[in-house]
Amino acid sequence: MLSPLLFLISCDNKSDYEEVNARMDFKVPSNFPALAQEIDRNYPTERGFELGRKLFHDTRLSSDGTVSCAFCHEQASAFTHHGHAFSHGINNLEGVRNTPSIQNMAFQSQYFYDGAAVSIEMLSIAPIHNPVEMNETLENIAVKLKKDKSYVELFSQAFEDQEVSSNNILKALGQFMTMMVSANSRYDKYVRKEPGGNLSEQEKSGLELFTQKCASCHKTDMFTDSTFRNNGLPPNSKLNDLGRETVTGFASDRYKFKVPSLRNIALTAPYMHDGRFGSLQSVLNFYASGVKHSETLDPLLNANGVLGISLSADEKEALIAFFQTLTDEEYINNQLFYFKT
Amino acid sequence: MNFQLKNIAAVLAATSLFVSCSNDDDNGSKVVEGAVGEAELFFDNGMAGDALDLGNAYTNSNGETVTVKKLNYIISNVVLIKEDGSSFVYPKAENYFIISEEKGQFTVHLENIPVGDYKKVKFGIGVDQQRYLEGESAQKSFWDLAYANDMTWTWSIGYRFINFEGTFAETSDHGRHEELPFQVHQGSNSATDNYREVTLDLPTTARVREKELSSIHIMSDINVLLDGDTKILLHDNLNAGGTAVSIMGGENLIKIAQNSLKMFKVDHVHNGPGSHHE
Repeated sequence: MLSPLLFLISCDNKSDYEEVNARMDFKVPSNFPALAQEIDRNYPTERGFELGRKLFHDTRLSSDGTVSCAFCHEQASAFTHHGHAFSHGINNLEGVRNTPSIQNMAFQSQYFYDGAAVSIEMLSIAPIHNPVEMNETLENIAVKLKKDKSYVELFSQAFEDQEVSSNNILKALGQFMTMMVSANSRYDKYVRKEPGGNLSEQEKSGLELFTQKCASCHKTDMFTDSTFRNNGLPPNSKLNDLGRETVTGFASDRYKFKVPSLRNIALTAPYMHDGRFGSLQSVLNFYASGVKHSETLDPLLNANGVLGISLSADEKEALIAFFQTLTDEEYINNQLFYFKT
Repeated sequence: MNFQLKNIAAVLAATSLFVSCSNDDDNGSKVVEGAVGEAELFFDNGMAGDALDLGNAYTNSNGETVTVKKLNYIISNVVLIKEDGSSFVYPKAENYFIISEEKGQFTVHLENIPVGDYKKVKFGIGVDQQRYLEGESAQKSFWDLAYANDMTWTWSIGYRFINFEGTFAETSDHGRHEELPFQVHQGSNSATDNYREVTLDLPTTARVREKELSSIHIMSDINVLLDGDTKILLHDNLNAGGTAVSIMGGENLIKIAQNSLKMFKVDHVHNGPGSHHE
């Protein structure tokens, strides 16, 4: 509780920006792959982070003032919209994809299910401008925030040019997301041989199964290889979401979606890009017996003419037990990401 | 007496103009070491040799009649090159410009260029991937400018390099068919880098001098985008309902990028003081 207090005190004292705005401590967890974003270009500072957090929770980022980032990205659900297949934006308009989690963003090279963004600083443009999400423009957000003294002060402390601008809005959100690292699940402690890193026999056998049957796509301790694949989900005829093809325009990318990370997966139901599955059991049932063949189906799911991944009932149970070990309680309870006024 | 002096001055001025026109290498005005001057690229949009007029129809060699309603493009990374191959790279932070037919923005204005004789100009069409990947820290306020000019993509985040929109109709022996809307939005996405650079010879040397403006007049042939080395028939790209054409991704953008390499040609260069294009 001490550090927020210090924040408040330093807020009133705007004498020297240099000292107030210290660089934050960003560490790459030892079991993580290398950073995929060059964070030095927009290195998180205390003020930039605080500003990003404030923006993340501010409904003024939407055109009618009803929707903030945090509205669909709730911390308790690893920054997803729990219980919603599709999130609703302004005027209760509904999107076509399930809210992705926000975590370990600086370790990713592609964002969204279709790779609509590749830069941590630019990605916020998509939900802000999407007519069924926030339906706002960066420029207009800057106009609104300029009327708020607390923002004018924060921007001036956070950035050298001191401006409330499109550029700095994106940078502040980028700094906030850079700091959103989830690396302290029981699984992490297990692989780093830290206290609390104990897995049961069933969880261990789940991990072994996972390594054999799932990790070719859900690679590394990010649990994704950041590629786009068609996992054989029968397309939803009402949406006909083309996936990656929407961005690239290549028919060879049809129905391909980004391999999602499985971190905090037990908290992020419903599953798949359209949130069609309500439980992990359903997800595994699908991989075992629901994979549908199509031209762009990933070859790994059609090995030797057998569709999907063979999984016995025991194996499914072990995998689900393993998935529970990916829950990072510290992350979802980290007060650093709370919004405090 | 006064009158005579004026005449002589006029004759002298005319003579020096002639001399400089006929001899590119004549350094009539002095090149002062360390001094800087200005230059501009003036983009004169056309369709296969005809002047572009928004709202007028042009028939191309694909057998389609194209009526342009909107045309704008991003010019970037301008470099001026001397005969010995040495070059002046315009500062990266200020090296992004938008040409807009409907807004009447036709010039790329360049300041603080080292004085000298430049023989070539190089520039990019669109935003290079390096700059794009550097994110907002590097792009500064270019996003706002591009957004204001309808040159951004917010669903696949990035910049439109070329906006080319209007209506088209097929022409055949049976006459003209129904007019349908088309949109060609050229740009890069996270799978394809469609940024391209061109290097153009200057038919006349661009002489950059202190307190002078060298204006490079470039003809832009918009027709080559669809009707260049590679042909793209709008008709072949109709949507499922057959009501409109949207070209915003895939192989078409790679073809357009290739075609755009032949989009520009320097027609002439104006040198000396007061040579601003109207």
